[in-house]
Amino acid sequence: MIYLMIVPGVVLYYVFRYITMPGIMIAFQEFTTGGFKYWCGFENFDKLFGLRAFWQAFRNTWVFIGLEYVFIKPSPIILALLLNEVRIMWFKKTVQTVSTLPNFLTWVVVSGIFIQLLSPSTGYVNAIIALLGGERIYFLGRAQIFPWLLTFIRIWRGVGYSSIIYLAALGGVDPELYEAAVIDGASRWKQTLYVTLPGIKNTIVVLLVFSFSGIMGGLFEPVFTLTDGNALLDETAMVLDVYIYNTGIRQGKFSMSTTTGLFNSIISTILMLSANYASKYLTEDGRTII
Amino acid sequence: MLKRSLGEKVFNIFNLLGMLVFSVIIIVPVLFVFRNSFELSETSTTTLRLWPEQFSMVFYGMVLKDESVYRPLLNSVFVTVVGTPLMLIINALGAYTMSKRELPGKSFFAYYMVIIPMLIGGGTIPGFLLIRSLGMIDTLWAIIVPGLASGWNMTLIRNYYWSIPNELTESARIDGAPEMTIFVKIILPLSKPVLSALGLLTGIGLWNTFYAAMIYIRSPIKWTFPVKIRETVMKNEGNDKLWEEMMVAAGLDPTELLINQSGLGGAMMVTSMLPILIVYPFLQKYFAGGIMVGSVKG
Repeated sequence: MIYLMIVPGVVLYYVFRYITMPGIMIAFQEFTTGGFKYWCGFENFDKLFGLRAFWQAFRNTWVFIGLEYVFIKPSPIILALLLNEVRIMWFKKTVQTVSTLPNFLTWVVVSGIFIQLLSPSTGYVNAIIALLGGERIYFLGRAQIFPWLLTFIRIWRGVGYSSIIYLAALGGVDPELYEAAVIDGASRWKQTLYVTLPGIKNTIVVLLVFSFSGIMGGLFEPVFTLTDGNALLDETAMVLDVYIYNTGIRQGKFSMSTTTGLFNSIISTILMLSANYASKYLTEDGRTII
Repeated sequence: MLKRSLGEKVFNIFNLLGMLVFSVIIIVPVLFVFRNSFELSETSTTTLRLWPEQFSMVFYGMVLKDESVYRPLLNSVFVTVVGTPLMLIINALGAYTMSKRELPGKSFFAYYMVIIPMLIGGGTIPGFLLIRSLGMIDTLWAIIVPGLASGWNMTLIRNYYWSIPNELTESARIDGAPEMTIFVKIILPLSKPVLSALGLLTGIGLWNTFYAAMIYIRSPIKWTFPVKIRETVMKNEGNDKLWEEMMVAAGLDPTELLINQSGLGGAMMVTSMLPILIVYPFLQKYFAGGIMVGSVKG
């Protein structure tokens, strides 16, 4: 009886997770929309690595990853630290409520909001620029601006929600440590540096290590909804996620798409395992996260 | 009470101001789209005002009258309303099996449902081929069914079951109640917090479905709402004929007025945000709970 209860879950898992697993072998096959043709070894990888478009997508993906770890990942920590210093409870709660909300909007809507907001003719941002006597800018037509724009929007959407977990961690720091620091004459800045940050270090490390498992992904919806295949932006906006979709679903090149996907997951796995290994130097008990 | 230094006071003031500016930056883009959705004429959209100059509900009328708009909307409602309870039932059931520590094969389920699928996945194309061979291409089931069973959610629910004291189920067991009765009568009612949080997140995820619809759905009539929103916002256009009819019905002259091109997209975005905005204040603890469920009682 007890075993029966898990049967629906196990069956669905078998069908949707396990049956598709051998599908990665398509990366080593000539496989068209018509189906399997023949085994071709590493030919697909050779072909892929010879494509300029692939390397462009690869480079762009890494630019976004760099921006993510320099700006996006630290932003909720900073927000949590600042919110933690706010002593007016209703204000703190209001800021939290407001900032958490965008995370629950689909990327389509988030991008749509910013497309309208940044519109050269009717958006607020250009209205302000025009009021100040500047030239109207077509933000979404400029490849150089795009990575920064997307980084800003990703922070706008996610910073409040991601800060929740850090705020919880901050609440768990022993108040006696602060009292001791105050008696020792530590300023608030010093308290942050020597009590607060070490107190939430473990949370930061755990989240960091786990974040590597999806490091190469998660860009499809933000990039795709904001660019709409605008070729002007490809120079900086074409990322591997979108490349996989374009080659596979739009152009029907199943082999190339799967090869790119496999390449992606190999890199993510290597990065996550390395991060996990490195984490033992950062945790207090010297053990790895996983 | 410790005396605060001048530096701390200055910091506090700037911190509060900073948080205020931050909140404004978060909220103004959303308000802008609200205004846009009620703004009828194009000429007035260049100002910085937060309320419409020429207020009109005509774009919302379009959302309700244009089949190519309201069908995707209904599709998203269907996907959410059907998918969420199914997900909860399947995973709450499975979690019960996983929660039996003494059961042989318990760790098999953990490996089978969580660890192996996390490491190996087929990817976009194998998933597409599977859905195609199941005959689910261009049906809403392609969006609902693949994500129904979730090892991650099952683990979270199982962890919650573990936190329920054994004494609560023990007496029922001694009375000879079957497991299914214990599950339905005792375990499920006690698990409301975790089920609400996961149900909410799943519901929002389904309501927001975009990628799966882009892959599996071909005919526009079967799109989910976000796919339709994207098309409208990008192209800034709607059904012209219906448009004119509605304008005439509203007593406006379609040839004279320069219509706010982004209004329809705005109205659709607001429609998509509305359910979330409505439940958000009431269920905020569950929204916030979603991120925490996984981290407590690991």
